[in-house]
Amino acid sequence: MSLMITDDFRDSFFQECEDLLEAMNDGFRLMAENQHEIETVHAVFRAVHSIKGGAGAFGLDALVAFAHHFETGLDKLRAGKLDLDDTVLGLFQRCGDHLADLVGSARDEVDMDAASSAQLHGELDAIIGTVVQDDPDDAPDFQPAGLDLDLLFAPAPGGRYRILFEPWAELFRSGNDPAMLLRNLGRLGTLSARLNTDHVPPLSELECTRPHLQWELILETDETAETIADTFEFVDGLCRLEIAESATGETVRPGGCNSMPDAPTGEADATGPDTVTHGEQTQPIARTNDSKRASAATIRVDLERVDKLINLVGELVIKEAMLSQSISKIALPSENEVSVGLDSLKQLAGEIQEGVMAIRAQPVKPMFQRMSRIVREAAVATGKRVRLMTQGEHTEVDKTVLERLVDPLTHMIRNAVDHGLEDPQTRSAAGKPEEGTVILSAAHRSGRVMIDISDDGGGINRAKVRKLAEDKGLISPDADLGPAEIDNLLFLPGFSSKDEVSALSGRGVGLDVARSEVQALGGRVSITSNPGEGTTFSISLPLTLAVLEGMVIEVAGQTMVVPITAVQETLQPRTAEIHAIGQDGRVVTNRDRLVPIVDLGAIFGFRPPPETLDNHVLLLVETDNGRHCALIVDGIQDQRQVVIKSLESNYGHVNGVAAATILGDGRIALIIDPDGIIRDATGPIGGDFQLHAAR
Amino acid sequence: MSIRNQLHVMVVDDMATSRGLIIQALEWMGIRNIDFATDGNTAFQRLASRPVHLVVSDFNMPGADGLTLLEGLRRNRTTQRIGFILVTGNADPAVLRRGQELGMNNYIKKPFSPEGLKTCIERVVGKL
Repeated sequence: MSLMITDDFRDSFFQECEDLLEAMNDGFRLMAENQHEIETVHAVFRAVHSIKGGAGAFGLDALVAFAHHFETGLDKLRAGKLDLDDTVLGLFQRCGDHLADLVGSARDEVDMDAASSAQLHGELDAIIGTVVQDDPDDAPDFQPAGLDLDLLFAPAPGGRYRILFEPWAELFRSGNDPAMLLRNLGRLGTLSARLNTDHVPPLSELECTRPHLQWELILETDETAETIADTFEFVDGLCRLEIAESATGETVRPGGCNSMPDAPTGEADATGPDTVTHGEQTQPIARTNDSKRASAATIRVDLERVDKLINLVGELVIKEAMLSQSISKIALPSENEVSVGLDSLKQLAGEIQEGVMAIRAQPVKPMFQRMSRIVREAAVATGKRVRLMTQGEHTEVDKTVLERLVDPLTHMIRNAVDHGLEDPQTRSAAGKPEEGTVILSAAHRSGRVMIDISDDGGGINRAKVRKLAEDKGLISPDADLGPAEIDNLLFLPGFSSKDEVSALSGRGVGLDVARSEVQALGGRVSITSNPGEGTTFSISLPLTLAVLEGMVIEVAGQTMVVPITAVQETLQPRTAEIHAIGQDGRVVTNRDRLVPIVDLGAIFGFRPPPETLDNHVLLLVETDNGRHCALIVDGIQDQRQVVIKSLESNYGHVNGVAAATILGDGRIALIIDPDGIIRDATGPIGGDFQLHAAR
Repeated sequence: MSIRNQLHVMVVDDMATSRGLIIQALEWMGIRNIDFATDGNTAFQRLASRPVHLVVSDFNMPGADGLTLLEGLRRNRTTQRIGFILVTGNADPAVLRRGQELGMNNYIKKPFSPEGLKTCIERVVGKL
């Protein structure tokens, strides 16, 4: 009969692999920064070894074979037979990447190209040298040692005994010596003795013929209580003797008896056996480097369950809002019990929502680790030397946001290495270190997550960018563009500033795609660049995809929601500030700037644009990189948190609409997508600078 | 009463997957009393206060590895008679030799089948 290996174990193996690969990459990073200790090497070795062990159980032969070879190389490093220079570390890192690929292909059950394994195999051979194959004769002739089960199942003899021994005067008179008795007792096992002198009177009252001493003894022995009592056979009736079996773990332990040897990992500061001798409990030995992992007890939960919970909490919040609304219609006295109860219900619902959402939050660290691989590969492809530094890798982001961020971030990282950093010659000519630096950082800022990708390259060559945009017909030659506007040209579809298509950018993906991917997550991308100093791409993301702080507005009798992050200000414009432009375009003057006016009612086909704006409000919205637009709305109702319900999964995509929500009165309101609206209304480049040009 | 009903076994492995596989195999054998620990130090603390009959431990673990655990068990009076089976990926001769010196009862090389583990255990405790 055989045993099926269940899918559960398979899944848990691959999940564990993720953790192990993360530990491995952590180790490599420490090595790269030259901050590693021998334990770092051990940890990397263990990670690879554990992957190999698990892979063996699932019959993943290709993975086992490569991991074994990789492990042999690491073992050489571990044994100090290999110097860790850049070449070796680089090879190990590539092996680590390849191992991750093999794990991925095993998980997805796709075949991997064996050539890359073979090549790395060869490179490993070169540094390992010829491995002395384990000679079977070299293995000790191991004979399994059986256990004596009778002994095993018999009530465990021995253990710890607590003995109280108080010799009386008669004992001494009959010529017995307590020291001899104790010595005999000591032969039965390990003995510790404590002399109790509490009953010894002051010297003035001392009777020299009357003993006052009492011994408290702890004996660890395999012998029975009878044998112990036998030791005292000749003094029976001449002393007070109490023998009691003491429960393990609550006695004073004799030196060195109940301790573990030092872990052989070379942790010099780990507490050794000597320190574990006293006290009620044995101290845990080695301070583990995994203390963080060990202390944080975690469970793995199916994502579907969490999402279901999030949906339910969303419903709860909506129901609570509906209840509040119906109660507000009943004229209740202020401070009544219903309202007070409802308020605390509201607060609780909010807290539950926050808590549930936090379950989905994950640190960006694994994604940042993936990026360090992207940097390495891009560096190899471009022949540049690049160092990736990461900051704030414990910042937590919603799991889905994190997953969908991988592609755009990969693109921006490649872009930073490929286009941002100069080649080594140019760098040294400019007095910079040949090795370029890319900094990837994450932080929470005012309810959003900010992810910055900075390089210390030459900055954006604006003259070149502008010329390219003109050549490609993206802008007119006489357009009046500020530096920030030129930088933003990089995001135009079809723009590629590199003269030749490089190996990296030959993927047909531009920064525009990366940006629209970020935008699809409710995020924004902006650029700042200083000539000679470098370029920074900043991604700002919402913390969650489940709720949104929104402004509830009314347009032609319809209730809609505008994300509050997009709203800059609300205006009640005077007629003098409105200017007609072109056929039926209108702009409003705001802070010395002309902003195009877009009527939400007309965009969605609710009504024709209003003749005058006297009874309307303008919502000045900003999307990425200073693209502005003033939306005509009929009124502003409220500002509140709304639960996002996807329109795509329930209906289909509608231009200018990001999602929908359910309001307190049970009606559905569309959440508008300001960026989509501006794109539809003013074209891909957006309003402002075209108007600058027109002015 | 058969041995498998009475035998108390502790599984020590830091990897949830291999721990799970060992426990699954033990359950398949019909062993009822199975406990586990995720590292050598925890295992030692628990065994010192509640000894079992047999320990099945991985070699490769952070902190105290399998042989360090074995050494600790053999050093301590209450745990020195516990049977010890080492689970090892490499079956490195040096490791096995040290295990033998420390009084390891048997070892098994990864990957192993449930049947293989059963044979390995039966060599130590007799027919289950």
